[in-house]
Amino acid sequence: MKASIGRIQESKRAFRQKLANAPIAEKLQMLDALRERMLAIRRGSNAGAKRKAVVHQTPPATDR
Amino acid sequence: MGVKEVIETINRMQSGGVIERYAIGGAVGATFYLEPVATLDVDVFVEFHAEPGSHIVSPEHIFKHLRERGYKMEVEYVIIADWPVQFLPAGTPLLQEALATAVEKDVEGTPVRVFTPEHIAAVALETGRAKDKARVLQFIEAGALDPERLKEILARHGLSGQWEKFERQFIK
Repeated sequence: MKASIGRIQESKRAFRQKLANAPIAEKLQMLDALRERMLAIRRGSNAGAKRKAVVHQTPPATDR
Repeated sequence: MGVKEVIETINRMQSGGVIERYAIGGAVGATFYLEPVATLDVDVFVEFHAEPGSHIVSPEHIFKHLRERGYKMEVEYVIIADWPVQFLPAGTPLLQEALATAVEKDVEGTPVRVFTPEHIAAVALETGRAKDKARVLQFIEAGALDPERLKEILARHGLSGQWEKFERQFIK
């Protein structure tokens, strides 16, 4: 199968146009969903960063 | 809960005299003309007036009104329907014009005032961050702008040079 960049771009453009032409109430609901997703990703990355920080934590010095 | 509830709350504030004219700009405003643009907050431009006996314009009466009704504040945002909402003064001639010429839209029977696409693009160009430039490009690619009207606005507000630079960088 041969991928045509032109066709892919055209299909992306058509999809964006379809979204742009959606009723505004629907688009605002999409904004709500997009924001939820952004926040979930952000929470996930923060949690990942914290876990990493724990893994790399320097062990406390001992009294030996 | 969502952006529609934010709009309803702002409309109630307007009919109750807490704010006068308002208009939505930024990414939420752009969504009225383009595909939805992911964003974390809502920008509401309003006319601020100086407190009696002061020359300093302040949104304090807006915050006070919302605090008294149980809305939470987070730094410069008010949380309405889970969305951080920022009330911004139309503090430049461009923003004043954007506010004055904003258009009324209808969200399932709820009226809302939104900046015109040309004003959203002009404000984005003036702000000039990468994401603002991307927004201008989105408007152009979607054919959602009247190019002549945009150029007139930019010329009126001394932004023609920035536009030429933007054109050289991204369009030509």
